[in-house]
Amino acid sequence: MSSLTDRYVAATLRTVPAPRRTELAEELRASIADMIDDRTAGGQDHASAEREVLTEMGRPEQLAARYSDRTLQLIGPRYYLVWWGVLRMLLTWIPALAGTATGLVTATVGDEPGRAIGAAISVAFQTAVQVAFWVTLSFAVLERAQAPLGLPEWTVDQLPEETGDRQISQPDSCASVVFLLGTIAVLVGQHFQRWSTDDGSRLPVLDPALWSFWLPALIAVLVATIGLEVAKYRARRWTWPLVAVNAVLNLAFAAPVVWLLLTDRMLNPELIDRFAWLREGGADDVARIAVVVTVVIAVWDVVDSVVKARRAAR
Amino acid sequence: MVSDEVLRTHLQELRRGTIVVASLVALRRPDYGYALLQRLAAHGFAVDANTLYPLLRRLEDQGLLTSEWNTDESRPRKFYRTSADGETVLTRLLDDLSAVQASITQLIEGAGR
Repeated sequence: MSSLTDRYVAATLRTVPAPRRTELAEELRASIADMIDDRTAGGQDHASAEREVLTEMGRPEQLAARYSDRTLQLIGPRYYLVWWGVLRMLLTWIPALAGTATGLVTATVGDEPGRAIGAAISVAFQTAVQVAFWVTLSFAVLERAQAPLGLPEWTVDQLPEETGDRQISQPDSCASVVFLLGTIAVLVGQHFQRWSTDDGSRLPVLDPALWSFWLPALIAVLVATIGLEVAKYRARRWTWPLVAVNAVLNLAFAAPVVWLLLTDRMLNPELIDRFAWLREGGADDVARIAVVVTVVIAVWDVVDSVVKARRAAR
Repeated sequence: MVSDEVLRTHLQELRRGTIVVASLVALRRPDYGYALLQRLAAHGFAVDANTLYPLLRRLEDQGLLTSEWNTDESRPRKFYRTSADGETVLTRLLDDLSAVQASITQLIEGAGR
């Protein structure tokens, strides 16, 4: 018996239940030998015939799975939808809760919001990975145990209320809220997580004097915008009152930002002093670009809301 | 034009169940794995070796086939034969196959009108 066949049979038997091995080995060997004989009778040399036959038989693990009626999938159609439902439900809440809790605790212990945000993101990510791993592992075990879960059958009562007439989708709203929260975090964070300068001292990017009024005001506008997102989601579509509030909030954010930028009150004067390129006109360039970006975003957002409100009204 | 891939998948689906029927019919005369494979191929049932061999053992486990080792020749081979239970199941399967054929014929004639 040649070694390739030996190796093939051994590799196949490795994952077949022990009681069947001896008999299966003999039958498999005979079958392979028959197939090789058939080819060598046609004039082919033994070595290449053997290679061809074993290639045709395919991966030993797959053959073994067919012999022992095993599934070659982590989670099959029987449990897939349940697995996905459980995973989605847990991932929606648990990482966010763990992250928020960690962030709050870190923020109360230390005095660095930047580190608190970093810790929150890191814990949320690790929790998500852990949840995904353990849920998937549990279902993979269930799949192999073939255990009946005794879950209730699907009924029409479980149909979602939504029929797709919603203009404002949940992912869109979530993304907007996350973006707004991120912006607030950046505004707060830049004061603590400062830019490092050449001599090693760290400076806030924005003028700390703005904390007396303008930065809290801008943050308040952003919080109000989060409220608008929630209201918009509940209304399911853009309505004219929402468009009006959106326009007011955009103006309330963009106008002060533009004014502060144009009157050189936005950037930290100490920071400008430290950098030659900022001193020599760079600060004006930064301000000009920031003004354009702010105005474009505000105008685009308002126009977008008007277009969508008109579409929804039709 | 339908892609070859789509056609191939549908033909495969259509053929899948018939391999069991063909094997049960063919094994009214005892035979070993590779010989059965060749007989089936000769009658137009192209089936892969790595599908047929495990299938034979599964049918044996289900009691539809019986087996016996033949050591008369130089190479010992496992011969399978359709059992009494296998014959019962085969009768039901063949009935169903002709019922399907009859239904299709009816449907074709009905659609033509």
